[in-house]
Amino acid sequence: MNSKERVMAVINHQKPDRMPCFGANCMVTYEQMEAAQAFWPKGHEDGETMARLALASHTVLGFDAVRVPFCQTFEARALGIKIKPGKLPGNMEGIPGIDHPPLYKLDDTPVFPDDFLSRGFIPELLKAVRILKKELGDEVPVIAGIIGPFTLAGSLIDTVPLLKATFKAPDKIRPWLEIGEKAGTALAKALIDAGADIICCEDMTASPELIAPKTYKELELEFQTKQFDAISVPTILHICGKVDPIVEWMAQTGPNILSLDTKTKPHIVREKCGPDVVLLGGVDVATTLFLHGPDEVKREAEEAIADGIQILAPGCAVGPGTPTENLLAMLQVAKGH
Amino acid sequence: MEKAEYMEKAAQHIVDADEEAVEKLAREYLIEGFDPIEMIEKGLSEGIRKLGVLFDRGEIFLPHLIIASEAMTTAVKILEQAMPADQVGKKLAKVVIGTIEGDVHDIGKGIVATMLRVYGFEVFDLGRDVPIATFVEKAKEIGADVVGSSALMTTTMVGQKALEKALKDAGLRDNLITMLGGAATTEHWAAKIGANFWAESAGDTVMKLKEIFS
Ligand code: B12
Ligand SMILES: [Zn+2]
Repeated sequence: MNSKERVMAVINHQKPDRMPCFGANCMVTYEQMEAAQAFWPKGHEDGETMARLALASHTVLGFDAVRVPFCQTFEARALGIKIKPGKLPGNMEGIPGIDHPPLYKLDDTPVFPDDFLSRGFIPELLKAVRILKKELGDEVPVIAGIIGPFTLAGSLIDTVPLLKATFKAPDKIRPWLEIGEKAGTALAKALIDAGADIICCEDMTASPELIAPKTYKELELEFQTKQFDAISVPTILHICGKVDPIVEWMAQTGPNILSLDTKTKPHIVREKCGPDVVLLGGVDVATTLFLHGPDEVKREAEEAIADGIQILAPGCAVGPGTPTENLLAMLQVAKGH
Repeated sequence: MEKAEYMEKAAQHIVDADEEAVEKLAREYLIEGFDPIEMIEKGLSEGIRKLGVLFDRGEIFLPHLIIASEAMTTAVKILEQAMPADQVGKKLAKVVIGTIEGDVHDIGKGIVATMLRVYGFEVFDLGRDVPIATFVEKAKEIGADVVGSSALMTTTMVGQKALEKALKDAGLRDNLITMLGGAATTEHWAAKIGANFWAESAGDTVMKLKEIFS
């Protein structure tokens, strides 16, 4: 089987020749940048560089998918939000993020620009997907990322005011979730037209580590479901942290795959969500992959597989300083299953 | 109203995260001429302590805690205005805190800062995305007893290591305590880079600092 057949087999509940291995979030590291001779910040902003860098997860690591983009600012930038470049101490390049102060206040009315898809770096992202598709055809799946409604709402009015509103005035959040859903869905459709095989929705602010599970159920569930209903290709939902209290509803929104942080135990998800949803995850990004060595990576990966993981992956976005040998150790484990 | 009843109500308003009610209560309490410090220690703090327990048990969630800790800060400010100057000035230690350069995550750091204030520390919150040099300058300027840094990303954790070195280079390191936290960090990381301690939560931070300064 090639990578795409392998991944599709798991999604379709057939038996793959072995377990696939790839991340649902950013997989880029400094070592891959060197190998691909494609670097940040250009890799965030230029379609060709982005595509070249994304390819490294297959060519350098041997993972079963490639993934763009590498940050979570594309929709926000196109909606007019100020973005902070990914500068790190010691002049290192990191991941761009949302800048301060926010564009809107809770009581404002959000504006969705007609030319959304041609704003910011979205055209470059679409270009990257087209290049990747041309390069990889039906050999390796191209994953394209969008941001979930709740997280985008937080980009628009800032996260703390959003969190406070969930407690004080939950109904006022709806217009922000609406525009968040609309933006992500519009981007997803354009990404699919450009050739994306899988859409991954990252919704880190919807984590129970930030909002009450009740807020997820009463607000986000509806918008996330609407979004996945509108997407025609297989989908992944990623929410950071320990998602036990909401995971049942996460599965109800309709993704094919749930991407789990290592704080969430696969067997609990299986118990709560039933047999249909595919579980992706396995190795912690901040400790095991970043700070420890291949032996620890292998041990943690084996444990996760024994606990019900079906696609071996980093539990979240890979830290760019992560050593290649740790990522290769993951693939080695996947090859044994 | 009896004093004891004030204490109970103050705690309850904090648990309910009812900022207006706790503000009103603090003002009435002062008009009665009661001791402001007592309301902070026996009323408000009791409320936030209860909330901390509920939060750790997963019975309440972060938005509730943020609003409650803001309500607490408002009430403490009102009460402090009525304190004798020497009481207000009497702080356990001076703490400089901030989120490392390149990192805009400041929710957790903000909660830590608020709680430390509540528990009698003088806190200089440098905000988020703070250059290493700014930590060092501020620590020097105010003669900090504690420097705390927050990092939520694997990319910015390395800044905490750089901060340790910068404090050493500035000759300040031996005279202060360094602490760190934030989702990306671990006890292991703190030990590895030579920080004095790591804290898992705001409550844990207060506990560990109170052990050192009391
Ligand atoms: C909310 C959030 C955001 C918000 C931040 C809003 C804000 N004002 O803080 C927004 C949406 C803006 C955001 C942006 C980004 N985020 Co973010 N975000 C999160 C999220 C979901 C929660 C963080 C949080 O607030 N937790 C709740 C608080 C209370 O917990 P805490 O911070 O850990 O704090 C407690 C303790 O750690 C401790 N503590 C904290 N600080 C300190 C300090 C000291 C001195 C001590 C003693 C203790 C202590 O006490 C606190 C209270 O109990 C996490 C995922 C997660 N579950 O952690 C991702 C996460 C941290 N973000 C991540 C990323 C990648 C980003 C972005 C780069 C994405 C992007 N491209 O937009 C940008 C960052 C840009 C930048 N340059 O910084 C990654 C980091 C990956 C990694 N391991 O490196 C995470 C893990 C999720 C992910 N993969 O998407 N994010
Ligand atoms: Zn995550």
